[in-house]
Amino acid sequence: MSESNSTSSEPLDLIRLCLDEQVFVKLRGSREMVGKLHAYDMHCNMVLSDATETIFYTEQDSPEIKSRTKKSDMVFIRGDSVILVSDAANV
Amino acid sequence: MSSTSNFLAEMTNSPVVVKLQHGLEYHGVLASIDGYMNVVLKDTVEMVENNKVRNYEEVFLRGNNVLYISQK
Amino acid sequence: MLFFSFFKTLVDQEITVELKNDVEIKGTLKSIDQYLNLKLDNISANTTKYPHLIAVRNLFIRGSNIRYIHINPSLVDTNLLQDASRREAMASAGDKIGGK
Repeated sequence: MSESNSTSSEPLDLIRLCLDEQVFVKLRGSREMVGKLHAYDMHCNMVLSDATETIFYTEQDSPEIKSRTKKSDMVFIRGDSVILVSDAANV
Repeated sequence: MSSTSNFLAEMTNSPVVVKLQHGLEYHGVLASIDGYMNVVLKDTVEMVENNKVRNYEEVFLRGNNVLYISQK
Repeated sequence: MLFFSFFKTLVDQEITVELKNDVEIKGTLKSIDQYLNLKLDNISANTTKYPHLIAVRNLFIRGSNIRYIHINPSLVDTNLLQDASRREAMASAGDKIGGK
């Protein structure tokens, strides 16, 4: 294996580079969260500030996908709900 | 190093498809991967049932959701 | 261990825990362990689904049932958290495939 990509070679490094930046997090249960990342660990537990959560849902007898949003000034997200993390600027 | 690890390591910098448990599919270039199958993809398209949903310049996928990673 | 330490600093503060079954419970954090199991005192819940919760004063919550924990931002030093995250990332940079 080459050593050429030794900088930023571990997937979690991408999350580290997002510290103090706006991140986009896709979560289980048809949820998405955007906020400023202040902490994370190897389980993808995270703390976000000024976060906006978007919840997607459908109502009975309708295929239309609706959404509602919730705000939180400071929120801890448990890592086991996380599907993906990306810099919010690059989505 | 085990042969599966080798297989995954040798795929870095090549175009791959990562399929997740709930039908989500990510087409991009494999930037890095670890032992939990956490993955970072570059220039990625998110697909649901063959419909393009979103683009990501760079995206981290949590390994526990991964169904398979396949080289294009 | 980062979040265990973080939540230890929040003991005796009021937090709101959102569970994966959509129940939200507000209460005073009394105790936390390494699995992020927690004990809450003086709870109030938003739920009509579980009416018996109204009569309950304190709870032990298994960490794995937690989706979010909402925290008063004035209780959080974000710079401290970010430094701690970077330090923890340095310490646990193992388990890579392909590379040292």
